[in-house]
Amino acid sequence: MILKRSEVLVRIFAVQLLALLALVVIGQSPSGPQANARGVIRLRVRVKVGDSTKGLSRKRFFLIRGSLTENKSLIEALEEQPVVSRDCYYQGIGASPELIAWLKQNDCESVYCREVEQKDIEGGGAVPEFQRAVAAGEKQFGSRELARKWLSVNLTDELRSGFYKRQQKDLQTLVKQAEELSKARVLSVMTDRNGTAYFTDLEPGTYVISNILSTEVGNSGVLWNCELKVKPGDLATETPFLISNNKDRNVKCVGVVKPLPACPTPKQ
Amino acid sequence: MRRPQVEFFSITLLAATLLVCTQFFGDSAGAQRRRTTNGPARQLKQRTATDYSRFSHSTRQHQVDCKSCHQAPSSNWQKVREFPDITDYPNHESCVRCHRQQFFRAAQPLICSVCHKKISPRDEARLNFPVATVAPEFKIIFPHDKHQDVIASLLSHPRRTGDFRTARYTKAAHAPDDKTKGYNNCSVCHTADTAAVDQPKGGWIDGYVPSTDTFMTAPENHASCFSCHWGRQEPVRNNCAGCHKLSNRADFGAAPPNRISIKFRHEGGGEKKNHIGECTTCHINITKVATLEGLKPDVPITSCSECHNKDGLRQDLNAELGAIDKNKDFKCSYCHTSNIGILDPPPSHTTVAGRPPLKRAGLK
Repeated sequence: MILKRSEVLVRIFAVQLLALLALVVIGQSPSGPQANARGVIRLRVRVKVGDSTKGLSRKRFFLIRGSLTENKSLIEALEEQPVVSRDCYYQGIGASPELIAWLKQNDCESVYCREVEQKDIEGGGAVPEFQRAVAAGEKQFGSRELARKWLSVNLTDELRSGFYKRQQKDLQTLVKQAEELSKARVLSVMTDRNGTAYFTDLEPGTYVISNILSTEVGNSGVLWNCELKVKPGDLATETPFLISNNKDRNVKCVGVVKPLPACPTPKQ
Repeated sequence: MRRPQVEFFSITLLAATLLVCTQFFGDSAGAQRRRTTNGPARQLKQRTATDYSRFSHSTRQHQVDCKSCHQAPSSNWQKVREFPDITDYPNHESCVRCHRQQFFRAAQPLICSVCHKKISPRDEARLNFPVATVAPEFKIIFPHDKHQDVIASLLSHPRRTGDFRTARYTKAAHAPDDKTKGYNNCSVCHTADTAAVDQPKGGWIDGYVPSTDTFMTAPENHASCFSCHWGRQEPVRNNCAGCHKLSNRADFGAAPPNRISIKFRHEGGGEKKNHIGECTTCHINITKVATLEGLKPDVPITSCSECHNKDGLRQDLNAELGAIDKNKDFKCSYCHTSNIGILDPPPSHTTVAGRPPLKRAGLK
């Protein structure tokens, strides 16, 4: 079939018109996957200590891509990870019984957890490490009040951040391992005072929620490795994913509870 | 169709297609072009006439070790601050070692005006440090996630669960116990802003003036940093680059975040002063944020609906969505001013209320 020149031009015109329309339509559509196709996990962690059940506050949880089976070698590594309790760490570095009691009093992991009060540096219940730090600060800044407020700047490294650094070292190794295995970035959030935390903007799929390192609950360590599915557009507005150390009908996943190991003999 | 007409339409269409393509794909290239053409022009201007009355950290020769010029703390800190800080300009030595020529030029060298109020050998008075009117040259590196980890506590003791009302904004909300232990939490850096809020250009929408307990403060000095990062905990006081990075991009602090729910008061909660959550209860992403760049409040509607749309408690959201059903021009006003309240309720609001999406245009 032989087309006339004018017919060819008409066809070119038609093709161009179609291309332009397609371009306009594409340009007006949102690029990439729709925002509402992504999901949210509303995590709630409740733990039973003695007769009381409470939200697990201020604990970091991690979200690992893939199922428990796909992450089997990682889960095994997590379960074999030795637990060093807060008390054992501080005893191990030769912290005074007063400091250990101060940390215990308000369930603090480090001296950064709360303000050091006047009674903590003076009188019968004073913490020797704090007293020494305040004395050094007073000399340095010329103010006892400032020395108290800035007390941590005159504490030794291992007292100040040793426990945190030790945990971070283990965490980073395990998170790296998780990322290599799952070939995806591991996300993390911390629970609020009620034990609630959100993982947002998630691709639909199967995930494992883990605390990676055992969490101290009473005299035990609890390790959670919980599999769950995120559906497209799941906004988790109603039902939180509840995990606990205690089996209950609403609990979706119960952590593995192990007694905390005894502390080795403290440094003299 | 006749040939000349067809050709004309073809060419017109081709041009239109190219134009559309340029708009879709040419933005970044255009911006790059603009940047590259701006750069040399500015550099040329600088080369031809250096203004020695203006100091810039971005000048290549000024990008040396911070402590080669800045002392931490400055010798005058006790006169101007309650804590040791960088409170003054560097000494003359820092300038003279490169700018001897400018320093001793004429009776009133222009370079002196960088730090001094008057250019006079008899007047040592210096401008306030840092100069508030100069645009910040640095952005701040602050990992919220790391700091949240460091101040984390172990499992809250059953008897003391309520103590985690540590953020200053909840202090009033928890007034019953003034002996509450001060946990180091967000309140280390963020406290209730007691200053009156500046009126925006064009005035307050609906005449609604937010009360002073609406917003929180962000750190404006080193006080909350140096209390830990002084001598040993890196980045320490002399390691400026550990927290400050040279940048001409506006930082988070440069423009306050736009508050959609202007009527929410951090220290409020109605007559009962009952905003009982801690910061992370509502700001759900803050514990995973490692940078201040692109920082958003990230408060989901569920943070509000837990109390404000709960059976047997309150029905504030349902009431307003119901009001739209009856009158499509109804303006939601419980949380919002009318500029926001007149918009279609977002899907998050209707989802949490267990309703299908609501479009005002579809209502009678």
